Amino acid sequence: MNNLIRGSALAAMILAAFAGVALSPSDAAEPPAKDPINPPPTLRDWQALAKLPDFGGVWTPVISDQVAQERSNPPPWNAQTAKQIEHMYAEEKAGRPFPVIDHCFPTGMPSYMLITHNAFELLVTPGRVTLLGEGDGNRLRRIYTDGRPHPDDPDPSFHGHSIGHWEGQTLVVDTVALLPEVYLAVNEAVGVPNNGDMHIVERIHLLDPETLADDLEITANKLLSKTWKTTRKYLRQRSQKYDIVEGVCEQGSYNEGVDKDGNSIFVPIKFHNGVPVGSDSK
Amino acid sequence: MNSLRNKLKLGLSLAVLMAACWPVYAHHSFAIYDRSKLLTLKGNVKSFQWTNPHCVIWVLVQPEGGGEPQEWSFETTSPGVLTRGGWTRNSVKPGDRVAVDFYPLRDGSHGGGLSAVTLADTGQKLTASFGEKAELK
Repeated sequence: MNNLIRGSALAAMILAAFAGVALSPSDAAEPPAKDPINPPPTLRDWQALAKLPDFGGVWTPVISDQVAQERSNPPPWNAQTAKQIEHMYAEEKAGRPFPVIDHCFPTGMPSYMLITHNAFELLVTPGRVTLLGEGDGNRLRRIYTDGRPHPDDPDPSFHGHSIGHWEGQTLVVDTVALLPEVYLAVNEAVGVPNNGDMHIVERIHLLDPETLADDLEITANKLLSKTWKTTRKYLRQRSQKYDIVEGVCEQGSYNEGVDKDGNSIFVPIKFHNGVPVGSDSK
Repeated sequence: MNSLRNKLKLGLSLAVLMAACWPVYAHHSFAIYDRSKLLTLKGNVKSFQWTNPHCVIWVLVQPEGGGEPQEWSFETTSPGVLTRGGWTRNSVKPGDRVAVDFYPLRDGSHGGGLSAVTLADTGQKLTASFGEKAELK
């Protein structure tokens, strides 16, 4: 009997201790750690990835579908922006394409998903999904899937701050903190800077084992009369000839040469309206 | 309104045409080239610039009226895309005699968008229009 009482008392103490931990009001009000860490992934973290859909590998955009989307589902531009867009289409038609990407800055989001003609590689690792681009500077997207929120005041950037979570077989990504100068573009010659406050929600999922779809919802209050919903598709490339190669954009502005001491150097190329031209040009 | 629609239609038709032929134009749009004209020039390769975002074949062309050879640039897609189309960085070498099919710059500058290059010594023709092939697999 004594043992029973003693045992019950012990159990009650343990329960009380657990209850204390779980219910302590001070815990609920505890602010997040000031200097959070990225914990080392566990075996369970790696095993959990095996249950996710297979997003990994190299993907190329379906360019014909990009064009079809541009035609059939244009952004709901507000009146002021629509005038600029109309002018850009006319300029493109006249052979004077507006230089949306005539530089070596990253094209940024959402152009990375909407208008690129480059391949990207997608990596799914514990707490992270990473997209690695190719031809114009190995552009890079980091999507945190470890449950963290957006920072309170994130530094604006070309690709913004992205957090993601899985809803069944779909990766849902929320992106904020894009530089106002980053374009919302429908092709490489037609687009306008987002001018601030752009917010992008993506639902990335497989249409079939080798086709990835990105359903985008783009809210850009300075440009659009309402949220624009559009989809882009990508095909998986299993052939190793599609493995991503280094793509240093600025390298295209130089040719290989030799200096007076016989050292190999990069020699600047003459450009005219954004394209390399021969030395005898006008 | 009809005029706006027509303008959009024309612009989009052009975009369709471009996308069908040019897989990559990061850095700039290929609308800079006049795609209604396909010209051919013969010359000697000065260098083959195998770089991102675009590769460039630099060619010395002898003017018809005589005088010093003139340098021309013929731009194409990226090393990654060219590799997938069967090219290597040695497909075209300095000194090669070539015939270049290209879409000219609209202002007459010595440059163009590459359509194909034919090596005079072997007759091999390398094309640069891989557009939709990667998608169709």
